[in-house]
Amino acid sequence: MNDTTRVIIIPCSGIGKTYGTVSREAAYEVIDEMCPQTSTLVPLSKLVLGDGAAQTAVAENRVITIDGCSLACATKMVEESGGSVNHQFAVLDAYRRHRQMKPRGISELNEGGLQLAHALATEIAAAVDELQGEENA
Amino acid sequence: MPELPQKKVGIVACSGEEIAEGTVTRLAALKVLEELRPQDTVTICLPLFLAGGEGESAFARFYPTIAIDGCDLRCAARATEAFSGKPAAGIVVTDIIAEKGFDPPQGLRRLNEAGQQAVQETADRTAALVDELLDKKWSRRNGTFNEETTSPVTTTSPVVQACACGSGIPVQTVEIAGRPATIIALPAIFEQFRGAGKGPSAETIAAILDEVKIYNSLNTEDEKAYRDMLSREYSTFWGAEEQVV
Repeated sequence: MNDTTRVIIIPCSGIGKTYGTVSREAAYEVIDEMCPQTSTLVPLSKLVLGDGAAQTAVAENRVITIDGCSLACATKMVEESGGSVNHQFAVLDAYRRHRQMKPRGISELNEGGLQLAHALATEIAAAVDELQGEENA
Repeated sequence: MPELPQKKVGIVACSGEEIAEGTVTRLAALKVLEELRPQDTVTICLPLFLAGGEGESAFARFYPTIAIDGCDLRCAARATEAFSGKPAAGIVVTDIIAEKGFDPPQGLRRLNEAGQQAVQETADRTAALVDELLDKKWSRRNGTFNEETTSPVTTTSPVVQACACGSGIPVQTVEIAGRPATIIALPAIFEQFRGAGKGPSAETIAAILDEVKIYNSLNTEDEKAYRDMLSREYSTFWGAEEQVV
């Protein structure tokens, strides 16, 4: 499978709050461990810059965004870059579903943050599988 | 002078999630923000220049800003210049690694030792740049250094606590000559004048206009429209029923 048929994962790039770190950790878990053959990551900074390859990637592939806060930068940037978001995940929503997993830490997540990232990654991986199923149908 | 956010240096990291050097930028920026210069620095997420409001896009004009980039693409520096203001300084992690002869960093999620070395060096250099920039006089009107005049802003504690989800710069959207316009620092300026007991009058409005000019660019021909707007808005803010004449 080449990159053009992978599901694009775009996490929040926030560095000031723990939710940004959770979004990144979940994204890495999906692309490294859960769906290494069917997903890939596009950094938000390239979309902000207007990088042609990044814009083409989101315009021509299925996209999942992971937003760290209500400003939803990842989702907004995909839409402004000519892409459409197939699934939008928000760390805050995930936390509402898993109240026992309270994330703390930015440079390094606490155990609750890692658990929340894992729970979110599991949901995202299911969405990747679903999108790949539609692609192959 | 209004109680605007005190003079600080902005830090914008590329945060590039696909390369280890991007992780280095993120961790180095955090080290400066949280450990090395917590009182003197603020940050903003790069995407907020586009996804945020006027306050966010004014960031690099309001604060002398250091862009920390992971690679030669320099997303942080170029996007900051394109959508906010020219960064006062820039650091590229790959340049530091080459200069110091460090091994290439590895590990997007957990940096190896070489990555940790790069984080420390990048953070140290950024902190030194922060000190350097704080010593210079910054014009918030022009978004450039101004060595000729004294700084127009005497500042105290922040009105709005800056965080990564916003610039912390107070703004207000008003109508000028029938068109909406966002005025940087207006809420803080109004608050300051009301706090000083200065009610709406022609003299007060003229003084407020002088303050507004410090933080916003306006043409001479627009001054009357600004004066009208300030008269209307400050009267409302003050609670007066009649506008200044």
